[in-house]
Amino acid sequence: MVLSTRGIHKSFPGVRALHDVDFDLRAGEIHGLVGSNGAGKSTLVRIITGAHDADAGLLEAFGHKVRHGDPRARRRAGIAAIYQELTIVPELSAAANVFLGRPLHRGPFVSRSETHRAFRQLTTRLGLAIDPDVRAASLSVANQQMLEMLRALAADHRILVMDEPTASLGPAERERLYETIRGLREEGVATVFVSHHLDEVLALCDRVSVMRDGELVATEPVERWTKDSLVTAMLGHVLVKPPPLRRTIAEEEVLRVEGLSVPGVLADISFTLRRGEILGLGGLVGSGRTELLRALAGADADADGRLLVRGRERAWPRTVRSALALGIALAPEARKSQGLVLSLSAAANVSLTDMRTVASGPLLRERTRLRRAAEIMRSLGFGASRLREPAGSFSGGNQQKLVVGKWLHRRPEVLLMDEFTRGIDVGGKAEMLAVVTRLAGEGMSIIIVSSELEELVEGADRILVLARGRLIGELGRADASVERILRLVFEVERS
Amino acid sequence: MTTSPAAHELGRRLTEKAGRYGAVLLRTYGIVLAFVVLVAVVAASSPRFATQTNIFNLFSEWAPAGIMAVAMTFVILAGGFDLSIASGFSLCAVTAAAVGRAQDPAVAFLAALGVGLAIGLVNGVLVEGAKINPFITTVGTGFVLNGIALVATGNIAYLVDNPDFGTIGAGRWHGFPYAGMILIFCLVAGGLVLAKTVYGQSIYAVGGNAEASRLSGIRVGTTVGSTYVLSGLSMGVAGSITASQLNSAQANINPNIVFDVITIVVVGGTSLAGGIGSMWRTAVGLGIIATISNAFSLADVNPDYQDIVKGCIIIGALALDVYARRLAGRTRTRPRQVTRRTYRAQSPRRRA
Repeated sequence: MVLSTRGIHKSFPGVRALHDVDFDLRAGEIHGLVGSNGAGKSTLVRIITGAHDADAGLLEAFGHKVRHGDPRARRRAGIAAIYQELTIVPELSAAANVFLGRPLHRGPFVSRSETHRAFRQLTTRLGLAIDPDVRAASLSVANQQMLEMLRALAADHRILVMDEPTASLGPAERERLYETIRGLREEGVATVFVSHHLDEVLALCDRVSVMRDGELVATEPVERWTKDSLVTAMLGHVLVKPPPLRRTIAEEEVLRVEGLSVPGVLADISFTLRRGEILGLGGLVGSGRTELLRALAGADADADGRLLVRGRERAWPRTVRSALALGIALAPEARKSQGLVLSLSAAANVSLTDMRTVASGPLLRERTRLRRAAEIMRSLGFGASRLREPAGSFSGGNQQKLVVGKWLHRRPEVLLMDEFTRGIDVGGKAEMLAVVTRLAGEGMSIIIVSSELEELVEGADRILVLARGRLIGELGRADASVERILRLVFEVERS
Repeated sequence: MTTSPAAHELGRRLTEKAGRYGAVLLRTYGIVLAFVVLVAVVAASSPRFATQTNIFNLFSEWAPAGIMAVAMTFVILAGGFDLSIASGFSLCAVTAAAVGRAQDPAVAFLAALGVGLAIGLVNGVLVEGAKINPFITTVGTGFVLNGIALVATGNIAYLVDNPDFGTIGAGRWHGFPYAGMILIFCLVAGGLVLAKTVYGQSIYAVGGNAEASRLSGIRVGTTVGSTYVLSGLSMGVAGSITASQLNSAQANINPNIVFDVITIVVVGGTSLAGGIGSMWRTAVGLGIIATISNAFSLADVNPDYQDIVKGCIIIGALALDVYARRLAGRTRTRPRQVTRRTYRAQSPRRRA
């Protein structure tokens, strides 16, 4: 047993985050940790890594009691944490990042040759090919994550805690990460792996623990779990999938794009979008999906192409405001940095997209605003009682609902949703898909992007497949499958 | 007497809740408490402090800095910074005095406002149009404005002998200075605009997250730029008041006023990062700074010591801000609105 907690309790004011949690991590195992949003996974991870203090309970690493409240004590105890937000110094080289804080030196001078040698040794151990001199900022997110893992390995950490490490990775990059984690297991490193993606948890982990409402409800070897039994354990009851709403898509063409190009990013993309249609954009990370949405939303000043909105030719929108005037709105992929003003209340965030409707003249009408926000957010299954709290105090799933709620407030004709389920749990994902379907049923045309290709297959009426900034295929609902999308993609990527 | 375990538990929860509520209250309104304590201490140690004359004089003395602090609150909340206010202020004062020697005082003050407006427009266009860092931009324009004032006046004081010129700065109604009224008007109006209008909400939004605001369709550039225009106008008002109070003006009239203004805003608790703060905080900050410097002069201490204390106060206030934020991060913000009931209502079990 390399790490164990006994009777951990943690409350936030009014919220019982953790209740009597006993968690064990064995040497050289990959231990999956799953649960819905708000189940307490992140809190437990933060207590293990020292970012939070437990109110009561005991934490032991390698048989020694770890004192509360000091992340550095954790590091000394051999615990390394990798969060979704990476701690890479972008301007430093890859090698310097790996040996950050404990540079290899000769006297007072950093030894370049020694650093390179040690770096190469580490990368070969994990079967990676990263240039030690390359600036960290120029590496992909996946490779930056690898640097963090190398850093943990260089410091000889025996316990690795990863909180949703695959959320921002594409399929190929995920595979590589799994390989790396397995490689670390061979080295005897124990990993706590937090993820919403149950398939990967089942494929990767040795044991899986499920959390629900602040309690650890079960820990079993992976062979004893199935996807269904995990979902049941997470939700405490059997999840009934809502039958897909039958919709008729109108003939009316809301959007026609011809020859859209963004220099160096997108080339000659043409497609149409009908009223009430859900169009999915498939492809790997970096294939140009996000850029396509941003170009449509006027967030990219370099975009050019022919645009017809409801049959009328329009100048390509170069500002967000001109796109909004055409009825096109973007719910961006990065909730915290692009989607929400975290310091403002949830209600204020919802009304931000159109403040005139909750104001008389220049004066805001606070009550109207709260009522309107409550109506919208209730329809998304979001408790209306917390609308006055700052957006930053909500969980990822609820923040995503706020981003969608913002645009329900304005009701654009075309809604572009980038990574619309990132960081949301199973229940939340089903809810979000239902919301999208409902909106389309009400006549909104929606373009969705998701790295979870299953969701596109399940939710979209039609899927456009992108690779290297080009449109390489189109799949109707009848012939869409994850395999087909990937086959299309890899034909291009291999060449 | 024995209490039942249930009652004991209830009591424990209540104290716990009260403690947390107290912590939140202290975090939010601690600065008010500090102000009240400060006033009590100064009033107790100096009988001359809590007199009507002294308080009214303070309003008159601090009106220029206070009015510019109102505008600076807008600038900082929107995520910007304006370091050109000291030079802008003295250029406006010089303009008022120069025009006031030959013209009607009203024309003189309008001229000062016009100069302030022009300064604000230039700053706004440079920062938002040309996207130059606000620190650098306003330090630069500050140098330029200072130079213009020196060149134009030859560093000679302009004296105004028209007695009407002194009305706005030194005139009083039942002993209360007109300048103080202008200050109070600016604080109240500024506070209402920030808290109650679409424009105020946009300022908080762009200061809190410019990119999210842009993607929401808010005119980020115009909103941020407008705060520099407000700042420029406030230089015009403050410059007019000072010129009127002195019946004269000179370039470099009070170069340290920029630090007073920033201290007032920051001590109140408005975050330099933008998006967090409010006008009442600036009012309290003004009260604190005014009281402290008044205490020094009442106690006849060498005014040079003031600067040492002021410096320590700025650093202390920022340290407190960082500490409070860390506490807030640990316990989440505004806990009192999350109850057990509302939390359950959101639990996935109920939702599904």
